[in-house]
Amino acid sequence: MAEPLLRLEGIGKSFGPVTVLEGITLDIAQGEVLGVLGENGAGKSTLLKIISGIYTPSTGRILIDGQPFAALDPIGARRLGIAMIPQEFNLVASLKVYENVFLGQELRRGGFLDHARMREQTRKLLDSLEVHLDPNQTIERLSVAQKQMVEVARVLVNDARIVILDEPTTVLTSHETAVLFRVVKALVARGVTVLFISHKLKEVRELCDRLLILRDGQLVEHCAVAGMNEEAMARKMVGRELSRIFPDKPEAPVTRGTPALEVRGLCLTNVLHDIDFAVHRGEVLGLAGLVGAGRTEIAETLMGLRRRSAGEILVDGEPVAFTSPRQAHARGLAYLSEDRQGKGLQLSFNVMQNVTDLSLARYVRGLIRHGQERRRAEEYQARLSIKAAHLTAPVGLLSGGNQQKVYFAKLLDIEPEILLLDEPTRGIDISAKQQIYRLIRELTAQGKAVVVISSELEEIIGLADRTLVIRQGRVAATLEGDDINEECIMLYAAGAWEAGTEPATAHEPSQGARP
Amino acid sequence: MSPLSQRTTPLAQRFRNLPISGAILAPLLALIVLFVISSLASEYFLNTRNLSNVLRQVSYTGIIAIGMTFVIIAGGIDLSVGSMLALVGVVVLYVLNTITDPFQAVILAMLAALVGGALLGLFNGLLVTRGRIAAFVVTLATMSIFRSLALYFTDAAEVSTRNPLFQGVGGGFVLGLPIPVWTFFALAVVSHVVLFHTAYGRHVCAVGANAQVARYSGIRVERVVLSTFLIAGVCVGLSAIMLTSRLNSVSPSDAGYFFELDAIAAVVIGGTALSGGRGTVWGTVIGALILGIINNMLNLTGVSPYLQGLVKGAVILLAVLLQYKRAP
Amino acid sequence: MPITHANGVTTMTLKRVLQKTALGAALMGTALTASAQEYTIGVTVPAAEHGWTAGLSWWAQQATEELAEKHPDVNFTVLSANSGTAQVANVEDLMIRNLDALVILPYNPATLQAVISEAYEEGIYTVVVDRELETPAQNVFIAGDNPGLGEQAARYIAEELGGEGNILVLEGPPIPINSQRVDAFNRVMENYPGINILASQNTDWNAQQALSVTEDLLGSNPEVDAIWAGDDDVLVAALQAIEENNRDDIQLVVGGGGSQRVIEMIRSDHPIVKGTVTYPPSMIASAIALAVHGVKGERLGDMYHGVPSRMILAADLITADNVEEYFEPDAAY
Repeated sequence: MAEPLLRLEGIGKSFGPVTVLEGITLDIAQGEVLGVLGENGAGKSTLLKIISGIYTPSTGRILIDGQPFAALDPIGARRLGIAMIPQEFNLVASLKVYENVFLGQELRRGGFLDHARMREQTRKLLDSLEVHLDPNQTIERLSVAQKQMVEVARVLVNDARIVILDEPTTVLTSHETAVLFRVVKALVARGVTVLFISHKLKEVRELCDRLLILRDGQLVEHCAVAGMNEEAMARKMVGRELSRIFPDKPEAPVTRGTPALEVRGLCLTNVLHDIDFAVHRGEVLGLAGLVGAGRTEIAETLMGLRRRSAGEILVDGEPVAFTSPRQAHARGLAYLSEDRQGKGLQLSFNVMQNVTDLSLARYVRGLIRHGQERRRAEEYQARLSIKAAHLTAPVGLLSGGNQQKVYFAKLLDIEPEILLLDEPTRGIDISAKQQIYRLIRELTAQGKAVVVISSELEEIIGLADRTLVIRQGRVAATLEGDDINEECIMLYAAGAWEAGTEPATAHEPSQGARP
Repeated sequence: MSPLSQRTTPLAQRFRNLPISGAILAPLLALIVLFVISSLASEYFLNTRNLSNVLRQVSYTGIIAIGMTFVIIAGGIDLSVGSMLALVGVVVLYVLNTITDPFQAVILAMLAALVGGALLGLFNGLLVTRGRIAAFVVTLATMSIFRSLALYFTDAAEVSTRNPLFQGVGGGFVLGLPIPVWTFFALAVVSHVVLFHTAYGRHVCAVGANAQVARYSGIRVERVVLSTFLIAGVCVGLSAIMLTSRLNSVSPSDAGYFFELDAIAAVVIGGTALSGGRGTVWGTVIGALILGIINNMLNLTGVSPYLQGLVKGAVILLAVLLQYKRAP
Repeated sequence: MPITHANGVTTMTLKRVLQKTALGAALMGTALTASAQEYTIGVTVPAAEHGWTAGLSWWAQQATEELAEKHPDVNFTVLSANSGTAQVANVEDLMIRNLDALVILPYNPATLQAVISEAYEEGIYTVVVDRELETPAQNVFIAGDNPGLGEQAARYIAEELGGEGNILVLEGPPIPINSQRVDAFNRVMENYPGINILASQNTDWNAQQALSVTEDLLGSNPEVDAIWAGDDDVLVAALQAIEENNRDDIQLVVGGGGSQRVIEMIRSDHPIVKGTVTYPPSMIASAIALAVHGVKGERLGDMYHGVPSRMILAADLITADNVEEYFEPDAAY
């Protein structure tokens, strides 16, 4: 076997007394796609930061082309051809695509920038990736997926040999994910090694050659992907049998009587058109659809964050007209935004302050009773098993899964009757996901009504009693029971089927892979 | 009840509950060091009269800095406070000199200062929230407007009063301390309670930390921002009462000159993030004291005021560097 | 006996700055100031943000150095302030040093009134310079002759022009000192019906402002015979405007204050800058000297009295005839 491109020997990392990574030894070959799996806190990002030179390992060494390094620094790593594509892109929004691609290493001719050549090379690069993108576009006009492609192109200009993709598909639709995968394959064809981090086991199975699973800072598996199924991967990650990720649905969900929340003919100028639905106590209603179909807008309109242009909203049969989330909270509605960090949590606030963010009035008797706040936060910490060193530490320091649990605690603390959950498990690991799914079922068992908006089909299928498929701001279909399957959802979501027209034959789903 | 919620909280946790934490440790340490240096550098420093002088000198900008703390924590800034002080001071002197009964005149003048400050603060706040103009720009403009109005109303001349009672307000002493100092400390205590022990204070922090999250949490973001400018205005009114009564006059060109920078400096030295979201009133008080002691020490040792600016600047940089180092 | 001559004037050397700010040196300072001094005199002046105030600082420094040599039993501290409020703090801080005498040129008199009264009532020998308090609270008031400055300038211009001509007046900010000068100027000019005052505008006694005001005035007045600037810095700025606009109609420019720069021009027979009237920043030096004599209860020279309570320095017209008397090449103004 040829010499490995990258070899790790006994890499470990400690922060003070805490060991987060221990004895990692592995080889990575040129042109390999290595999937890196692990729960939050398993040491994935620490390992990647060591490889990309951000962290200095406490023990062990790194060999690149057989040349040993005790540690890399970010600039050195870059020079050796290691490039990381972060979740938050480092692009200058006001500059054009080609300007970003060549940022910091602009091509010059006679002291002046050679725009034509940079444009041309960018076009060639993008073509080689089979991405159709105008190099003259400004970044701020691009979609998230297109920005990602610009990052990839930029990495290639740097002659990167190892590209690290950190949860690249979290923000992508399934179609965009397919494009990304094509690009990754194009990279591999050029001899580039790709490290692919994802929570989505299915994607790892589809894309990767080999697999690295970390748990509690240790390597638990390094093997070929072929022959591993998703369940086996999940088991290795979690280190115990996952009974089943999704809890059982109730036998017969209650859909009679006055719905907890009913929406009639809801419109939002240019975004939503004539949305009708109802959700009953004890029921999980799924809202499926492509990114941008208008699902988040439905939730935000219900919460009074957007001004509806027509239609009626009824809570327990009474019409309501909220102009602020405050009023919605008072009537028992709570909304979990898909943008946890931008709209959900105050990252600089501590756990207690975030938990009582909506319910603060309950802790005020003249002045805020901090002790009571703390006790309540501790209760949630135990109930939702939130892993936080200090309740007084900023939540920004917690892992994604724990942040999400704090976010849930924040909603639960106003004892809501109707929960609107927008991407409730985005960017969190599998055991946190499982806990959240159980929590949702507990809530419905207590007689709450839950609306789940999700772009992960599995989640809709595993969780929802009924599902609305939203397409271009309209309800494309209402699915129940066995009709809630990938095929139906995708075909309605993509517009291949229209509501009311039952197809004669079942089609293969056009997008997304099947297990 | 979960097993975690114990009946007795360990002392360390209790301590963490207090807002007086690491954030103000650095400025507090700086204050102590400065205090020691000053008492060594000048035999007069520890003189009780000198200390009471320092406190009084600090209180005018200190009162304003407390108002500024609210504005900055909520993510804004108010550059107009110095000019606003001059304008409010002119109003105070006008009321004093218009009303004949001296007692009535003082009461109404003080009322006019508070109401006037509130209205000017409201004006700033409305431009920021309703007008959707950046606070920096709004208050840069009103800084110029307020100063100009103060000059216009007085023809740029100083105004003084013969009211026999007025000087007793800012020039008087209670229990050995000047009244402005009591006012400053009382305001600090009240502001601390408001900022850390009321829902309103929490909302101010939330709006400054992330206004979008605050909006999604049902906080009336605009109202909170507006209210911080109002508070700053009232603080300016209070400071105007103290300063004009101490001097028994107002100079429209001179009153509050560069107070905005001193106030912002006090807030920043005190560990409040200029980007908003977190900060403490105690930090601001300490920041104001640090600036006051620097001025006093340099005066006592006879150093040029040009260099006072250098030392002041160095302390600000040092304070911010310490904060930067502390951040993870 | 070493003299701890602390002063806050701009000419302080870096070495001295370091000594004053460093802890060790500060300790040394403590030892020195602890030694017995019979008299402590504190001086506070507005910061040097203008030619005249720079002159003030220079003279304050000069006088305290010279007087400290002559009077080893007197200890001086000189502070300056960049605002009235800061000067209030200056006085408060000086008073802590058990002052025997305070010499102050108030930044703005009303703002300083209260604190000067406090000092005076405490028995500190108080000398107020240049700007008079509304309620007198001093042992001595010493100032230049503002009306005299206006009168002298007006008379000189009128005579030089032969009682006929167009003139521009560059005023200061709307404060009493300025109106005293301008009113006196106008009163004299009333006796000369042939003199036509084309415009009289505020320059804030600020060179930049003066430059643009003069440019505007020259633009709108094609026939100008003479310009009177109530301040020598303004005169220099006006001269620049005249030269840049190639105005050869102007025969005469007269200033006010008596800065060395303008005196230099008169000395070297400048074609149009022919006169200025004194308003000497050295008045602070005399004020400090008065404080030394006053606090010691000494008579002034051969006078049969002690220090008088009020002293107005004459406004002298400086022309080519007497310019040598006023030439002081080292002075800052």
